[in-house]
Amino acid sequence: MSIEEVFSSKGRVKILRILAEIGELNISEIARRAGLNYATTNQHLQLLENFGLIQHKKFGRIRIFRFNETNSRAKMIKTLMDAWGNK
Amino acid sequence: MSQYSSVFKDESKLDINYVPPRLPHRELQLNLLNKFFRFAIETPGKMTQRVLIVGKIGTGKTVLSQHFGLSIAREAQERGINLNYVHVNCRECGGNFFMILHRTILEFYPHFPRRGYSEAELIQILMQILDERNAYLILAMDELEALIRREGPDPLYSLTRIQEGRLKAPQRLSLICVLREPKYLDRLDASTRSTLQRNIINLEEYSMPQLRDILTDRVVLAFRYGAVSTQNLDFVSELAASEGGDARYAIELLWRAGKYADASGSSEVLPEYIRKAAVSVYPVVRKDTVSSLSLHEKLFLLGVARLFKQTGTAYMSMGEAEDAYAVVCEEWGEKGRGHTQLWKYVKELSAMGIIQAEPSSVGQRGKTTLISLLRVPASDLEQELSRVLHKRRM
Repeated sequence: MSIEEVFSSKGRVKILRILAEIGELNISEIARRAGLNYATTNQHLQLLENFGLIQHKKFGRIRIFRFNETNSRAKMIKTLMDAWGNK
Repeated sequence: MSQYSSVFKDESKLDINYVPPRLPHRELQLNLLNKFFRFAIETPGKMTQRVLIVGKIGTGKTVLSQHFGLSIAREAQERGINLNYVHVNCRECGGNFFMILHRTILEFYPHFPRRGYSEAELIQILMQILDERNAYLILAMDELEALIRREGPDPLYSLTRIQEGRLKAPQRLSLICVLREPKYLDRLDASTRSTLQRNIINLEEYSMPQLRDILTDRVVLAFRYGAVSTQNLDFVSELAASEGGDARYAIELLWRAGKYADASGSSEVLPEYIRKAAVSVYPVVRKDTVSSLSLHEKLFLLGVARLFKQTGTAYMSMGEAEDAYAVVCEEWGEKGRGHTQLWKYVKELSAMGIIQAEPSSVGQRGKTTLISLLRVPASDLEQELSRVLHKRRM
């Protein structure tokens, strides 16, 4: 994984920012907040999960995503997002 | 002369949601609760408990449960046990089991999706969350009548039987059921009833000296020193005791009297303000009763109140009430509910004691439901409803 790949997409950064802000969310809600459609959001999430930056938990049919607390890079990205603020 | 801006030191201590650090005259019951739930701290996961708290309005059911919940959660935390206390008001959830479960889960996952699950799934998810976090939960369901009325015996049955499907897993979910009318328990099936009725805590109405003790505590917390004299405290306690030992009523009386004192620029709550407050607080239309109604229940009640004010009659027929409601709906830009729904509202409102509804007797053509207001002047009811509705609109 290269850092360019993670940050090269506006959508992915948006998703990371939302997760940093809210903590845990399901796909539909992430998509709604990011202004993306479901499929795109799903793709981004899968990529981010493959990178090990986020993880999900399953409740029945619904997956809830959050930052992967065990990954040091994920932690740093979260700190970066927090420091950057909402805008 | 000193200038007083307000007799209050901290008004929020008189709020109905405030949980005081001390519960006078409920020590015994608090102890009992602690005994019932001792295992949760000593041997968590080995058993669960179901406790029923029964008592009339303002006998301290809710505050007892909350006080206990806060203290046991604190104690558990000190011992490193993840014990959570969640308090859900069933009436605020419209008696809807799904909403009650959802609210409970929101305590753990604040952004849990609102849709996509059945009730059975939500129960499973709740247990899954508890398992994952190695957490224990005491779920307090306040105003349980609302749930039983709407959903019947099934929700309680499934909540009391969760553990049966998970024989080897630790037991995680305990229940506190808070109920005003024990007669609603008759609607449950025998097995659920017997599991619930094993531990009942009955709260008696407060007597006048007991009310005085409660008020003394609150006055120290909420009022400036010297703002309420002992004599006046006795007066408030007496008034509340005569209204059936309702502590919430007593506290609201005190709050209103304080407001009147503020409005008159007085540095002390005088008997005159208490009298004024007593006239304005009807035990039936208290702020919390009115605000807990749904929008259309409020609109319907507003229509009824207005019509009574206009006509000055003692009874009105269901049809007349519906017409009055239609006018109110138009005024508020709401689409009116149908007859059956309104009839349900009438049933609800009469069960809550705000209005009285009875079938028309012989001597009138046809059959209708006759509605009357028992103790509340229509104009006061209208005023209170308009206030609440306007606040909502803002």
